Amino acid sequence: MRKKRWVPWVLVGPALVVVFATTVYPLLAALYYSFHKYDLRKVPQFAVQFASQPGDPLVSIDWSLLSLRNYTLAFSDSRFINSLNVTFWFTVFSVALSVIIGLCIAVVVQKNGRLQSLTKVLLIFPFAVSPALKGYSWRYMLNDQYGIYDLLAVELIIKPINLIIELLNNLPLVDITPINETVVWLADQFWALFMLAMSETWGWAPLIALMFVGALGSIDEQIFEAARIDGANTLQIFWRVTLPLLRPVILIVTMLKTIFSLKMFDQVVTMTGGGPVRATQTINYYIHQVGFVRNLDIGYASALSYILVVILTIFAVLYVSKVLNRD
Amino acid sequence: MAVNVAMAGSKRSTSDIIRQLLETLALLLIIVFIMLPIYWLAMTSFKPAEKTYTTDIIFTPTLKNYEIIFSDGTVLVNQGTERERGEVGRNMVPSVVNSVLVSCATVLIAIPLATIAAYAFSRYNFFGNRAMLIWILTTQFIPAIVVAIPFFTLFRSVQVFGEPLLGTRWGLIIVNMSIVLPYAIWMIKGFVDALPGEIEEAAYVDGANDFQVLFFVSLPLVRPGILVASVFAFIMSWNEFLFALIIGREMRTMQVALMTTSAMRGVMWEQMAAAGMIVMVPIFFLAMFIRKNVVDGLTMGAVK
Repeated sequence: MRKKRWVPWVLVGPALVVVFATTVYPLLAALYYSFHKYDLRKVPQFAVQFASQPGDPLVSIDWSLLSLRNYTLAFSDSRFINSLNVTFWFTVFSVALSVIIGLCIAVVVQKNGRLQSLTKVLLIFPFAVSPALKGYSWRYMLNDQYGIYDLLAVELIIKPINLIIELLNNLPLVDITPINETVVWLADQFWALFMLAMSETWGWAPLIALMFVGALGSIDEQIFEAARIDGANTLQIFWRVTLPLLRPVILIVTMLKTIFSLKMFDQVVTMTGGGPVRATQTINYYIHQVGFVRNLDIGYASALSYILVVILTIFAVLYVSKVLNRD
Repeated sequence: MAVNVAMAGSKRSTSDIIRQLLETLALLLIIVFIMLPIYWLAMTSFKPAEKTYTTDIIFTPTLKNYEIIFSDGTVLVNQGTERERGEVGRNMVPSVVNSVLVSCATVLIAIPLATIAAYAFSRYNFFGNRAMLIWILTTQFIPAIVVAIPFFTLFRSVQVFGEPLLGTRWGLIIVNMSIVLPYAIWMIKGFVDALPGEIEEAAYVDGANDFQVLFFVSLPLVRPGILVASVFAFIMSWNEFLFALIIGREMRTMQVALMTTSAMRGVMWEQMAAAGMIVMVPIFFLAMFIRKNVVDGLTMGAVK
């Protein structure tokens, strides 16, 4: 072996310096800030630029005091608790919808055929649409006056259901309230969060479908053949053969999507702006508000983001160990 | 498959036809689900302003919206009608320039660093090799806001040529490294891993040194992989929003410039759509190019 021992360090060195500088440094710095009082409104240079009240005292940061103030504050901050709640439900909706719809798409698209191959090509498109743009386009399409989604939902889903309800109401002893046909999607606390999750699903389900298509393609066709010869029908094959074989991939994809959902930020800004009444303020969005929009409280924002880091670490450890064990 | 066809015979039962019909219907539904937002955005970008607030799909297409977002003066809309008015140009040319410069610079810096690092990770056994790789895999779980906060405070005080780095392209390029570089290393490492080692061994036997093997034997072979990683890195930094908002600030990229289509009356949807087309259409072509590698890239090879 001619390979020299110092060579890999020369090759890895530059990249490693950059990776550490842009990941380890901010992690350590944010940890440090999180234990201190560091409020930009109190920094002279910034107070001039950002002062919420003209009379704000120009006090510099008190670095000497190490305290848990930011963390104790977090758990009595109702807005932060709200953001945890919002993030939880957003994650549940978006992960479940993305994985289930992704799986459905994969099963339909996976067969041979011209329309199937065309659809497979189209699956990549939502990935190319940036999250910020996704948020804006969904907001436009969901508008109750001129949105195409609103039109489709009302005409194709709500009106037919109401028709059935009307018919049922003609029967004796039946009295069902029809669904409101004039729902303003993004002004309703539940629907705004749900539609946020739907926009995320639109971006991710096709990608997840691509992942499943790859995994399905690597399963030996003979397994399905054997099941068919044994007399299993399509549904049985899906539940008893396909799904168990896909289990490892489903698990990894679910964890990956969970991690991305927990970090969600872009669409909240462009689609709902956190509203209505904080119903869509995810953790990341609230941290941004605290640190850069409303309070300029870097110390508190750092503490909040560290709570997010801890939550993510749990999933990251699970994910990484799962991935490494597959090799 | 052949067995299946033979068993089914030439006669097709009604249930087969129904199944075929359902499958086609499902495929069409999927196509509509995927393409509707893209189609709608593209269509809106060519709509005249007065048609934006309708669901009409029949109208006379116009390029006015594109004119408005790129003009720095006033653009007349509804010319020759009663509702003629001037629309303030959004002047997004600097934003396009910023997006292109930041994304290109990010790629040009990240990819060479990632390539030599990936090669070393793949071909050499050295202390901490595996631990460092795991760390690189883990960095994708760091929320961007944690990176943004310290760099925001750092760039506020760090001066380059008398100007703070905050709100500059260089500042944005530096923080973009935190997301792009780990993916690039992991992706290129996958491509190097797939190369057979025999050619390199032969080169060593012929007396080449480590660097000659790397630059004249391995790199040319892994070039397609490097191209794929470059495109992937470009898309990531092009679509990046949080850093652009916090670190880029007034040095707007197109993602942030989308927000400038808001006016007193709310978002000017036809202008947003036109800006959106500028944001997404180039990426469509790039995404088609790396279609087969997106899944591997995004999952860092976890789903195989």
